[in-house]
Amino acid sequence: MAPVGPRSGDAIFSSIDRVNAELFTLTYGAIVRQLLTDLEDVDEVNKQLDQMGYNIGIRLIDEFLAKSGVSRCVDFKETAEMIAKVGFKMFLGVTASVSSWDADGTCCSIILEDNPLVDFVELPDTCQGLYYCNILSGVIRGALEMVSMKTEVT
Amino acid sequence: MIVCVSVVGHQNNPLYIQSFTDADDALKLHHVVHCSLDVIEERVNNPKKSGTTLNEAFLGLLYPTLNYKVYGYLTNTKVKFILVTTDLDVRDTDVRNFFRKFHAAYVDAVSNPFHVPGKKITSRTFAQTVSNIVGSYGLN
Repeated sequence: MAPVGPRSGDAIFSSIDRVNAELFTLTYGAIVRQLLTDLEDVDEVNKQLDQMGYNIGIRLIDEFLAKSGVSRCVDFKETAEMIAKVGFKMFLGVTASVSSWDADGTCCSIILEDNPLVDFVELPDTCQGLYYCNILSGVIRGALEMVSMKTEVT
Repeated sequence: MIVCVSVVGHQNNPLYIQSFTDADDALKLHHVVHCSLDVIEERVNNPKKSGTTLNEAFLGLLYPTLNYKVYGYLTNTKVKFILVTTDLDVRDTDVRNFFRKFHAAYVDAVSNPFHVPGKKITSRTFAQTVSNIVGSYGLN
């Protein structure tokens, strides 16, 4: 069976089942609130979110590879582009951009213009150190680890 | 000119009060808002027989007093919005528009996972949006 050629993020996003964005945002907000109530320490919550993201990422990578059919990435730059353009588009429906490459090409920033996780959210003054979207860092870390790439995501 | 807007919860607890004039009037405006709650209770408990049951959100002019006019709006969750204005002639559509935008801003503020329902609204974005809505009131 000939392998399916790599499909763009848009095509995949429109062909899979979707969920209401507000439901998703409110659910994520409820998770973060509950973690804050249970753990009460902002750093602990950040770690937990990262761990949860990691668990999601190690499973998500298979789905990503199966649905998108992309071939092996040649270098880290391509990997980052793939995550930003195809991955985020496929799962969150938003396109991210990659910037701030350092001299070696080993470190970059992925910027999300509008992030559905943070609609309506305003951090109160008591939790200013909270990385609200830390789950996304965990997802990326977990996914890349499954394809033999050890990364650090913050 | 709008002098004061207020959000009151379903147990008549104030959730948000913002006045747009000099500070020494603020207490008087708070009292006016408080008194208007009684009028709302009265309207809600004694619906006019000839009135329709649809769109009972906008309560209209609650009572004209002193030199203010007080308008009310009731959401389905019994949260009340009060608007105090000093305009002499106020168009109905303007006020309805105002409450519609105010309701949208309120919904956004309440969707914040860090907001506790029943506590005061501390969202800075909400305060900013409300200032914008008040600023653009009646300019069309």
